Amino acid sequence: MSFLHINNIHKRFGETHVLKGIDIAIEKGDFLVLVGPSGCGKSTLLNMIAGLDDISEGDLLLDGERINDLHPSRRDIAMVFQSYALYPSMTVAGNIGFGLEMRKVPKAERREAVRRAAELLQIENLLDRKPGQLSGGQRQRVAMGRALVREPQLFLFDEPLSNLDAKLRVDMRTEIKQLHQRLGTTIVYVTHDQIEAMTLASRIAVMRGGELQQLGTPQAVYDDPNNLFVAGFMGSPSMNLVNARITRDAGVLVARIESPSGDVTLPIVRDRAALETWCDRDVILGLRPEAITDPSSANRQDGEIHEAELEVELVEPTGADLYVVTRLGGRGINARMRPGAPLESGQRARFAFDVSRMVAFDPESEDRIRDVEKASAEMPAAALDVS
Amino acid sequence: MSKPPSSRGGARERLQHWLPRLVLSPSFVLVLFFVYGFILWTTYISFSGSGMMPDYTWVGTRQWSRLWSSWTWGIALHNIWVFGLLYIVTCTVLGLLLAILLDQRIRAEGTLRTIYLYPMALSFIVTGTAWQWFLNPGLGLERTMHSLGWESFSFNWLIDANMAIYTVVIAAVWQATGFIMAMFLAGLRGIDGEMIKAAQIDGAPTWKIYGRIIIPQLRPVFLSAIVVLAHLAIKSFDLIVAMTGGGPGNATAVPATFMYSYAFSRNEMGIAAASAVFMLAVIAALIIPYLYSELREPRS
Repeated sequence: MSFLHINNIHKRFGETHVLKGIDIAIEKGDFLVLVGPSGCGKSTLLNMIAGLDDISEGDLLLDGERINDLHPSRRDIAMVFQSYALYPSMTVAGNIGFGLEMRKVPKAERREAVRRAAELLQIENLLDRKPGQLSGGQRQRVAMGRALVREPQLFLFDEPLSNLDAKLRVDMRTEIKQLHQRLGTTIVYVTHDQIEAMTLASRIAVMRGGELQQLGTPQAVYDDPNNLFVAGFMGSPSMNLVNARITRDAGVLVARIESPSGDVTLPIVRDRAALETWCDRDVILGLRPEAITDPSSANRQDGEIHEAELEVELVEPTGADLYVVTRLGGRGINARMRPGAPLESGQRARFAFDVSRMVAFDPESEDRIRDVEKASAEMPAAALDVS
Repeated sequence: MSKPPSSRGGARERLQHWLPRLVLSPSFVLVLFFVYGFILWTTYISFSGSGMMPDYTWVGTRQWSRLWSSWTWGIALHNIWVFGLLYIVTCTVLGLLLAILLDQRIRAEGTLRTIYLYPMALSFIVTGTAWQWFLNPGLGLERTMHSLGWESFSFNWLIDANMAIYTVVIAAVWQATGFIMAMFLAGLRGIDGEMIKAAQIDGAPTWKIYGRIIIPQLRPVFLSAIVVLAHLAIKSFDLIVAMTGGGPGNATAVPATFMYSYAFSRNEMGIAAASAVFMLAVIAALIIPYLYSELREPRS
């Protein structure tokens, strides 16, 4: 039995169907990140877990108990809000201790719990201040302290970092992850930032238009996306998606991609059985930028490298990497090369494609084309055998 | 810094520079004379021996001591104290209560809000006259009840010297509560909804969410409401004139009606001026700190 079980949950606001049957199950200690573009229903789902929105249909089970109709305060959950939602008329200590006070915890015990939470978050020196006197990062910590102090079974985070500036956001992200590792709590976290999702989650649920697109470990969602949307949404720079035609070349199944410098032919190694049936039809191929490199930095041990010569359209150095844009299948695609690779725009260069990481999508349904035995979204990338 | 302008451009610039001052100066002069000038004049009169007509002989604080030894002035001060306190407290409490009830996402909120606000659109004279009719035992509520068959019904506060001041409170509260409600409603709408959700998760019952989290945040609204009501209370002249005329006897006299009757019917302009200056001082003591705190540059 899983710890938190979201079982076929629907949400309707009048005529609009906001959530269309969400199924998610996570274990104790999991860090589930709900990610998706705005309006995908992720915050609604979180509010339903918190009890702030009614569940139109379906069951919500926490530790085996159905909590659909339980008042938020009786669900043994704590929530951190996007606006922090601190009580401005109370001190930091009052804010953190408010939940305990409402639960009639004796004063001495309460003070000790507040002190412990403050210590954990390094805000002991702020306990007597009012929220109005704190910086954004400090408020964020107080909001987390208010959640931590009650030691609930489940933590809910609603885009907690989106009001912080970029640098602070990265720091707080690391801290949230450390806290999770140290305390081993179960967390459901909503964000629209896929990098936050990748770095924090032990399980990612990608949502779109009220439907769950994929549920899996960050690596599985990244390497083995269920459909074009997940492939395009996760990862930055995003996955290269190009039009290609599956054909047979000297008995070998290949994907043929048009390019100004002559067609590129890449052998199919992944999901070969499924793609056999797509012979002589068009598909959309997905390749991560890091699966297209310069030949010298290609990973020949784990991957299967196939080289092609293409024209360099643009060179974008980021310091750590060198992104090279070339034209393939009518689109500009990103390749991640080693920094300092001697490349200039207009020049022809050899690109190394790791075809073992190539995925294919049905251009009509936008679904992934994959072998049946690998259809489970839960399968981690390491388990994918590349023959 | 900039080049000296050519003569034509200079004339134009000079005109642009002086035009706003030219346009504003008549009203500035008028206000200076008729408002501040007469404040000074009234202040002087309160130290003069004026009776029916202004008389500029300086008599020191004689009028002031006559004012403070006047029996009617004592009643007026007592009345304004009772009236002001009841008016401010009742309006604030009722206004807040109505705002909280109206904030529960009820249907037809817009209509109700307008209905509550309408009394504010009436002048004090209309309010006073209407309530005078309504509470007049021979005309309004009591008579209606009697004609409906409830013979023992009696509500004669309006003609009872001990109770008449409370009828004025009722009418004034009826008029201002809607406005105070609108102020509180605006304050309630400004409160972050996530904060209320957080308090729900923290396990606070609704009355505690209001008592501990929402109402403390309405402090600036309380301040504004009290200042608005306080100065309305002190200025309450027309309502009392229309409703009771200060009577029965002097039972509902307030400083404003006191001042009016001393100036225009009792020919004691000096005493009236002293009472007027006193009222101005009280209002200034209320308003100036408030304006100062509101208009001061917000500091981070």
